[in-house]
Amino acid sequence: MTLSLVTLLHRSLSHRQSRALHAWIALTVSAAISTALLSLYTGLDAKLHHEFRSFGANALITVTNPRGVDAATLTAIRSAAGPGAEAVPFGYAVGSTASHEPIVLAGTDMAATRRLNSWWQVSAWPQETPQNDPEILVGSRALSQLEAKDGRAALSYGSRSQTFQIAGTVHTGGAEDSRVYLPLAAFTAFTGAPASTVEVQIPGNAAQVNAALDRIRTQLPHAAEVHPIRQLVEGETRIVDRTRALIFGSLVLISLMVAVSVLATLSSSVLERRRDFAVLKALGSSQAKLQALFLLEALALSLAGVVSGFILGAIAAIAIGKINFGAPIFPTAAILPPVAALNLVVATLAALLPLRVLRRLQPASLLKGD
Amino acid sequence: MFLRLLLESFLRQRRRRLLAGLAILLGATAITTMLALGTSIGDKINRELNSNYGANIVVYPKADTLDVEVAGVAVKPATNGSYLREADLPKLKNIFWRNNIVGISPELPLTATLNGQRISAVGLWFHHTVSGTGSGNGQSGQSSNDAFTTGAPIVHPWWKLNGAWPDDASPNQAVAGANLAQRAGLHIGDAVTVNDKPVRITGIAATGDDTDNQLLIPLALAQQLTGQSGAVRRVYLSALTKPEDAFARRNPDSLSPRDHDRWYCSPYANSIAYQVDEAIPAAHAEQIRRVAQSEGQILSRISGLMWLVTITSLVAASFAVSSAMATALLERRREIGLMRSLGATQTTIASLFFLETSILAIVTGAIGFVFGSLIAGRIAVQIFGSQIPFNFVLLPVVLALSLLVAIAGSAPSVRLALRLDPATTLREDA
Repeated sequence: MTLSLVTLLHRSLSHRQSRALHAWIALTVSAAISTALLSLYTGLDAKLHHEFRSFGANALITVTNPRGVDAATLTAIRSAAGPGAEAVPFGYAVGSTASHEPIVLAGTDMAATRRLNSWWQVSAWPQETPQNDPEILVGSRALSQLEAKDGRAALSYGSRSQTFQIAGTVHTGGAEDSRVYLPLAAFTAFTGAPASTVEVQIPGNAAQVNAALDRIRTQLPHAAEVHPIRQLVEGETRIVDRTRALIFGSLVLISLMVAVSVLATLSSSVLERRRDFAVLKALGSSQAKLQALFLLEALALSLAGVVSGFILGAIAAIAIGKINFGAPIFPTAAILPPVAALNLVVATLAALLPLRVLRRLQPASLLKGD
Repeated sequence: MFLRLLLESFLRQRRRRLLAGLAILLGATAITTMLALGTSIGDKINRELNSNYGANIVVYPKADTLDVEVAGVAVKPATNGSYLREADLPKLKNIFWRNNIVGISPELPLTATLNGQRISAVGLWFHHTVSGTGSGNGQSGQSSNDAFTTGAPIVHPWWKLNGAWPDDASPNQAVAGANLAQRAGLHIGDAVTVNDKPVRITGIAATGDDTDNQLLIPLALAQQLTGQSGAVRRVYLSALTKPEDAFARRNPDSLSPRDHDRWYCSPYANSIAYQVDEAIPAAHAEQIRRVAQSEGQILSRISGLMWLVTITSLVAASFAVSSAMATALLERRREIGLMRSLGATQTTIASLFFLETSILAIVTGAIGFVFGSLIAGRIAVQIFGSQIPFNFVLLPVVLALSLLVAIAGSAPSVRLALRLDPATTLREDA
């Protein structure tokens, strides 16, 4: 019986090739679209949070101990903040220009600031230079106040004065435009002040950011005040959540629409085979055997559809990730079960529903009339 | 005869029509939903970004001195330096892109004494009504005389207030930042003295930014305390903008007149800032790059994603509809064979089938458009809390797509059926 069923199945699929082809295409499309959208949905969180890095630091740590931000504090903050986090020390002091106008001097790790603050429009970043002649970064509004000569500007702090090589200007439309940025070591050497704040960027949603900040608080119990920048943390969480909801809505809608359309196509195709059905029945097949045959045929097509659809869907997700986010989104193994389940349900329903209709028909009248 | 064939075909083979119709209906619904979401998502996300991140443009006096402040605390007394005039601010609602300006918040920072203690304070609008003077030449037909209520809480949407904002006109109300309130032991309803003036604390604001350390007072009171009547230090604008591209970064004065118009009429942060400079000659406006640049990037990523998902769905729906059309026609070979053996030409049969398919595609496509628009509206309400209006520009697009996909899906099957010998087709199943 098994053999004959397999033979029947083989014949049925190979005889009417175009019908099997269309059923396979339909099932492939259904599997491909659900694979692509599910992959996007599961990969979206990481990709979107990555995009929000462009806003820069989302928490501010003010170090209250008199030594300021030393290497040990910075290491403790970095390890508590978790992987993918960025922590950049900043020191501030009020100095004056050559014409005795007060100006904010800031000291920072230039390379880390450059990574953190992608929105800074900088004409040229300071080079690593010997400590005795450091290069500085001047805010676009501060530049006119500095009365620079030959690319050098004189600054004073307390009773000390020094001229610095100007590497470039920074323009942000914010407070940075009024400041002068020095490499941290040069800042401390000039003003005697250490870095006092650390700007931290922690990837993730509000819960993840707050958990990381709690870890930092426990690591540095009396050395620091930790503040999330609410404007950024809350905004990011809300927008990521809404975008995911949107993709989820599209996922459900499109997968269901395509599945129903495929179901209609397949069941109609089965319904058209009433003649096959009548012949088999007239030759003595039982309803159960017929069901098994039609079901097996549907399952074979559906499995083929899942395989080809998963590959196509994965290609679509990878391409969308690459085009939009610059990095591919790979489908995970976890999405295979729901994709396969949806396709198998569609194929099974498509095979069984028409049989219920055909069951009521008499083979004789079917064969004679049509 | 041709018309009768067409009519009979619709009346008789209802089940087969049903399959093709259902497939096109579902496809058109899905595509309309995705297109409606895709076309409006930019605007929705833009508003969402705007209502989360607040100001993206700042306006300074042109002849400005440096801000000497660290962590929001002014180190240099704010009494010197230059100011903007509060009376000039309604001009902001006369610029070309005035309807894109959704929030205006002027600030006048000062140092004051609170119960004898030196603190920093800032004068703000809380619920201030601005009305344009109507001399603008905006693109939309909307009247610029619309009264527009705005202030710091709109431009700083992340501020959380406990209590009530001060009345803009009141000379004796204030809100304390959370840190200041804690440090100075302030509570809602407390009576304090600010520079010897009696002031009542109406609320405590947790802002998560530098304002936490400040006393927030009505702008009029700040002007009174500093003796600078009508003065404003800087103005924050929250504007709906288009993400910056290479064209947006061009210097408008170096563009050809045509490009200049195109630049001027695009809602870039830069062009809105340029128009503010024109409206208030003593002012210099510029984008706050941290917000404007990042918003632009997020916006283009999310709308890009939505478009790619829309295109993918479109391809999937097309394949689903095509295979349904092919299946529906595959079973009609006998009908074609019969017609041919009765003397119908290939052209007649082909036109009959295509006309039939076209009518079906147009009718079900139109129904799909209505369903799809309704579903898109529901999704938008669920996620963004606001409707998407019916976008009738999409109707011809959806109808054209339905028609194209339905005909493309059935064409190979019709051609195949016409190529076969009628005798074989008729005998095939017998």
